[in-house]
Amino acid sequence: MTRALTGFIALLAGDCSHWIELTDQPTPLLPSQTTVASDLRVPLLLETVPITQNGAPLGVSPTLERQVLGAFEATQLFSQYFQSGHAQPAPSQAYVTLRLSMNNRVGPHSGETACRGFVIGASMFLLAPVISLDYDYGAEMALEVERWDGQVKQYTASSSGSAHYSLFGASPHVIKELTGQVTDACLASLLEQFVRDHTFYLADGSSQSEPTIHTVSVGVRRPTADAHPVSTNAPVSSQ
Amino acid sequence: MAILAPPAHAADPTPEITVGTQEVGLTAGYLLPERLTKHHVTKQQGPAIMPSWMITLTDPIGDGWYRGQVLIGAEVVYIQSQEPVLTHGIGFTPKIEYTFTADNQIRPYVEFAGGPFWTDLGDKIPEESFEMNFILTAGVGISYFVTSQASMNVGYRFQYFSNAGTSYPNYGINSSLPSGGFSFCFLVGAPGDTTTLTTVDTCPHWLHRPLGR
Repeated sequence: MTRALTGFIALLAGDCSHWIELTDQPTPLLPSQTTVASDLRVPLLLETVPITQNGAPLGVSPTLERQVLGAFEATQLFSQYFQSGHAQPAPSQAYVTLRLSMNNRVGPHSGETACRGFVIGASMFLLAPVISLDYDYGAEMALEVERWDGQVKQYTASSSGSAHYSLFGASPHVIKELTGQVTDACLASLLEQFVRDHTFYLADGSSQSEPTIHTVSVGVRRPTADAHPVSTNAPVSSQ
Repeated sequence: MAILAPPAHAADPTPEITVGTQEVGLTAGYLLPERLTKHHVTKQQGPAIMPSWMITLTDPIGDGWYRGQVLIGAEVVYIQSQEPVLTHGIGFTPKIEYTFTADNQIRPYVEFAGGPFWTDLGDKIPEESFEMNFILTAGVGISYFVTSQASMNVGYRFQYFSNAGTSYPNYGINSSLPSGGFSFCFLVGAPGDTTTLTTVDTCPHWLHRPLGR
């Protein structure tokens, strides 16, 4: 709350063009050390990720699929990483299948923004620094993980946030930054749940076998702030 | 400044206009008198030039034929009245526009603008007695996108100016203004691709790399 207030004051002072506030963040957990024997790891196959927006089909996003696969690859819990539509694991090989779906909830506040824009224009733009415009975005992810023997586990996660920006700070990159941070948080929450069950996805259900051991450090980002004031002049980039 | 679409899409006239897309334009027209009451006798007419700037405020709203986006901005209005006497007028008008986006390439719009307007026509005609006035504009038009960023526009505006009762007589001046021009859309401060879903790296930074590899 204090940071949100600070962000708003900074906006009033004119040294911030936008700030982003995340809500529904996953409970931050301490990073855990997981030791996985390399011969227990099996391949992972990510199936196509369908995306909906406010419930309506939106298609697929290769960028999101690469992002998800990259996130799982970074855990080093699997021996190989495959993406549906590309190379596949051998049919005789035991592997884990990921089925992820994502629903975006967009709240552009269009009517409110238009009214505020009218007021800003009527003030000859004098009120532009003090009237902020808002854009809400939320993401819900549902992950179904199927083991080679047909056993299935399901995980869900959600995250949401708001971008607040001045008229002259309006940019698609503000929206991109918001969606990026929300997706980031949602995926982190999902991955955190998944990693807790990592032994379920190993070849013999145990993580402590020898001989070849790689140490994998898996941690969930610890949110440092509720609001992220961003400099006016620099190009917008994600943190 | 960054270009809306990469060069590979230059031949595709479908604009990608999102929140924050800015637009500069130049419109020119010819002012014609509209004498609506018996007090309006002046047949003022002459060319008008209106450079403008706008920024897109919203994503497309609604579905169907009325789907569109709200833009706000401002324009400078210069009007040279050649009749009944040669006079000049200049004003600054914030404006709001609703662009219908149901069709990608042909986009109708409605616009409203208003602001201070100085003209030396003010003290030379019987309807107005003061040079400092306020001008109001309502208009409709169509934009035809010739590329993903550039469009040609034709439209019609109805203009009214008066001195808001600061001096009398103050019957106001009404005019029709058929106009045409062009606009150019762009993004400011765009660091690269605008089409990706998120800004997160492929390998998220909250996952640490293996320590012992």
